[in-house]
Amino acid sequence: MKNCADVIIVGSGVIGNAAAYYLAKRGASVIVLEKSDNIGDGGSSRNGGGVRQSGRDKRELPLAMFGIKNLWPTLSEELEMDVEYYQDGNLRLGKTAAHIQTLTGLTNNATDCGLDVSMISGDDARQICPYLSEEVTGASWCPTDGHANPLLTTLAYYRKARQLGVRFITGEEVVEIRKIKGKARQVLTPNNSYEGETIILAAGYDSRKIASTFGIDIPMTQALLEVLVTEAQPPMFYQMLGTAAADFYGHQSTHGSFVFGGSSGLEDVNKDNGTPTSTSLTASCICRGIMKYFPILEDIKIVRSWAGWMDVCVDHVPVLSFVEEVPGIILASAFSGHGFGISPAVGTLLSEMVIDGQPSLDLSALRYDRFKAKI
Amino acid sequence: MSKINDRSREIGEYIAQPDDDLIICRCEEITKGEIRKAVYDGMFTITEIRRYLRTGMGLCQGQTCAKLVKGIVARELGVSPLSIEAAMSRAPMRPIEMKVLGNEIS
Amino acid sequence: MKRYDVIVVGAGPAGLSAAIEAGKKGLRVIVFDENAKPGGQLFKQIHKFFGSIEHKAKIRGFKIGEDLLKEASAAGVEVVLNAIVIGLFLDKEITVQINDAVVHYKGDAIIVATGASENMITFNGWTLPGVIGAGAAQTMMNLHRVKPGKKILMLGTGNVGLVVSFQLMQAGCEVVALVDAAPKIGGYGVHAAKVARCGVPFYLSHTIIKAEGDDCVTGVTIGAVDNKWQLIPGTEKHFDIDTICLAVGLSPMSQLLKMAGCEMEDNPAKGGLVPTCDQYGETSIDGIFVSGDVSGIEEASSAMIGGRISGVAAAYRLGFIDYEELELKSEALKKALLSLRQGMFGPENKGKELTKTEEGYAISANLLTKGYLTNEEVMNYPGVKTMKGIHPIIECSQNIPCNPCQDACKKKCITIGDNITALPVVDEASQCSGCGMCVASCSGQSIFLLNEDYEEGYASVTLPYEFSPLPQKGMMGFALDRSGKAICEAEVVDVKSAPAFDHSNLLTIKVPKEMGMNARFFK
Repeated sequence: MKNCADVIIVGSGVIGNAAAYYLAKRGASVIVLEKSDNIGDGGSSRNGGGVRQSGRDKRELPLAMFGIKNLWPTLSEELEMDVEYYQDGNLRLGKTAAHIQTLTGLTNNATDCGLDVSMISGDDARQICPYLSEEVTGASWCPTDGHANPLLTTLAYYRKARQLGVRFITGEEVVEIRKIKGKARQVLTPNNSYEGETIILAAGYDSRKIASTFGIDIPMTQALLEVLVTEAQPPMFYQMLGTAAADFYGHQSTHGSFVFGGSSGLEDVNKDNGTPTSTSLTASCICRGIMKYFPILEDIKIVRSWAGWMDVCVDHVPVLSFVEEVPGIILASAFSGHGFGISPAVGTLLSEMVIDGQPSLDLSALRYDRFKAKI
Repeated sequence: MSKINDRSREIGEYIAQPDDDLIICRCEEITKGEIRKAVYDGMFTITEIRRYLRTGMGLCQGQTCAKLVKGIVARELGVSPLSIEAAMSRAPMRPIEMKVLGNEIS
Repeated sequence: MKRYDVIVVGAGPAGLSAAIEAGKKGLRVIVFDENAKPGGQLFKQIHKFFGSIEHKAKIRGFKIGEDLLKEASAAGVEVVLNAIVIGLFLDKEITVQINDAVVHYKGDAIIVATGASENMITFNGWTLPGVIGAGAAQTMMNLHRVKPGKKILMLGTGNVGLVVSFQLMQAGCEVVALVDAAPKIGGYGVHAAKVARCGVPFYLSHTIIKAEGDDCVTGVTIGAVDNKWQLIPGTEKHFDIDTICLAVGLSPMSQLLKMAGCEMEDNPAKGGLVPTCDQYGETSIDGIFVSGDVSGIEEASSAMIGGRISGVAAAYRLGFIDYEELELKSEALKKALLSLRQGMFGPENKGKELTKTEEGYAISANLLTKGYLTNEEVMNYPGVKTMKGIHPIIECSQNIPCNPCQDACKKKCITIGDNITALPVVDEASQCSGCGMCVASCSGQSIFLLNEDYEEGYASVTLPYEFSPLPQKGMMGFALDRSGKAICEAEVVDVKSAPAFDHSNLLTIKVPKEMGMNARFFK
């Protein structure tokens, strides 16, 4: 089989797969190269599934709003697979005056950008989600937010793109992207070489190492993300949840299980032994976080926990950008743990960048060369 | 160890079999036919099958069905079951109540 | 954090043995087990173990369990029960659910001895209540004193299927048939013979087509398969039963090791996914050891030896013993392990078509397909001699690692020699006293005493009897042959029960002289 295509995508996460799908739909030939044995093995399979606009940086908010308005509502239909999308709103919970202050600040920022989000009282929050503890004194409420199943969304894009003729190769680690006559064109793996008119680098944290082969640095670190899942429960509530104190986040899935993520606070300095293994502390910490807000869930059982690395940008928003100094390259990395909810929008914008030569939304705030010294 | 796995390679088409309605994963009630179809949808690894169908994600964590699923996937792909990587194991090894997991003694 | 020299996960035969060896060398050892009782599967093993006399042969499993617990306690080992190890993390840290809390522990060495779980196979109706694992059936009857069912079909003729079938009958259940897709019985011939002489038929090259019933099993249909495992139409056979036991192998419970990041291999010879490890059971992660079934499916005797090797190796790794002591101790243990792995059923002979024993005797095809030796075949083996007066008949025709009979006879009638898998030889010149110790010592219940000069025209046959109620002297009944067919009337002329027999009662029946070499069971 020929190793040439219009577009080579490095990374088969939800971003790479979404881009592959939208590109193939518009007639481009695409090869997706994935280092792992499995499709979507990075953050795409290890996140809380939030499809949120609230709580986002205003630089990426337009992408979130675009996706929720135009793409998410019909995504299951479009991909012919239920991605378990619920638009039942997002509650960000607070218990103390400081929490309420944080939430009010976030809410004001979002309303300035035109998002329908408001501060509500503890009782109003309990009207929406009656299982909440009495200790909750207030919340921000964004009724158009929601959640979906990240595992299924990632695989749904993959499945559909594959049906449209996209060639996916797993176990194929990209070690270098080479310029040929001034233009990035060749993608090298230990044993093979691929060529594309355009190369999209969507390899999560690994993008940093690969980008260095064509002389570009994306200032990011990796942080361990841990999630746990409970046994299935009867339907209780389908809002996406978060807290001002970042104790936990998560939702109930179609299956009935709750998927909750969180952190121990030690993520930045976690040891990496090469396997994305869970730490001994975080799952317990997440449990305590949940029970502070939902004591009613204390008897349900945790059946599994998992961990993965996310790519955290120095300013916590992604790099989604052409690289004019290296023609042929588009960067789509450093999603900082917010990538899933905006993946349909990012995939669409990437397809526009390749085929139309420019995205339909202004992405200048997400450029690769925005990082400057502090003085 | 990563192995190059071209997902566009020819594996033929899904053809229904009389025992497709056999339950394979008891915890999540997934049938043989669903697993076979998943392979033709491009799910070539146990991990992908798990994420796609929830096989082995129930209370027993796949201790009962892991070998069975592996056998089915291997047959559809025309490879040896030994060449198919097992799914990751994850804590907790047994289901545990939230209040117990949250109650740590260090 | 709570820290120990060695943390052992699993208080079964392997885990306890590892803990004992480490404890004896002065290491601080703690053992966690998720069950309410220690011993793993030992406490449901009511049968006598095979092996060498030095390594617990002819002792019943539950007794071995009791001995191990005493030994562990003497070695200062702390055993924590109802303690579920839920994770194995970086730096050899484990989290354990104990009561309503999760406790963190670290060990300088961790020995994982989590055992195995039963395999399932699928057929129409396999998820119906009434389809259970053979091990589960054993737990129900031997630990909880609950009969798993009334009428049972066993799938699988490995040792587990054979042993559990026999125990089901001991518990008072009816076993209607043993079924195996393979063309040959997988387990020891002596175990098969015990079941066959009770009249249970074997269906080799057969498989379950479906379990019948709406809410629970009410019947089963089996059918013959060809050499490509395809069903042969028209061979269907139905049984009315309420329980199907599956004895189709075990899988190592190796999740903790996979989670910890140990290098793993999928090895069919070891039963599935196991960590790769060195001769001491140490995995790719320094200080994490495995022993017992989790490192590869074998049986309890080798698990105990393997456990001891890991315990000694952990003591060496932590500097409690020097290299010489490690070598000395482990070499002896490895030798014992090697002897257990020899013989027809050893890993080297797996899958091989053997036609002769090590000594050159023909292996009985009848034993491999029907579960018993024919009257003609039995005469071929060195344990069967024609002698005057009372003498042992040893119907042991396969090379298995077992030798208690040789020491049982004070008159030196029986010889096995140094090679533990050799067939026992009866010395025609020796003087049998008829004490019956050999009969009771045979874990395979394949030794009988025959006296063809018992009375004019009558022979006496002494056989091991482990059913209740125990027949009384003077009772009349039928003698059954090796296939379980009633062949003649028989009178119980003696019943012996002695502490030294360890619950194998010796029943002596009187049968017509010509039936002396045929009568092997009493009903």
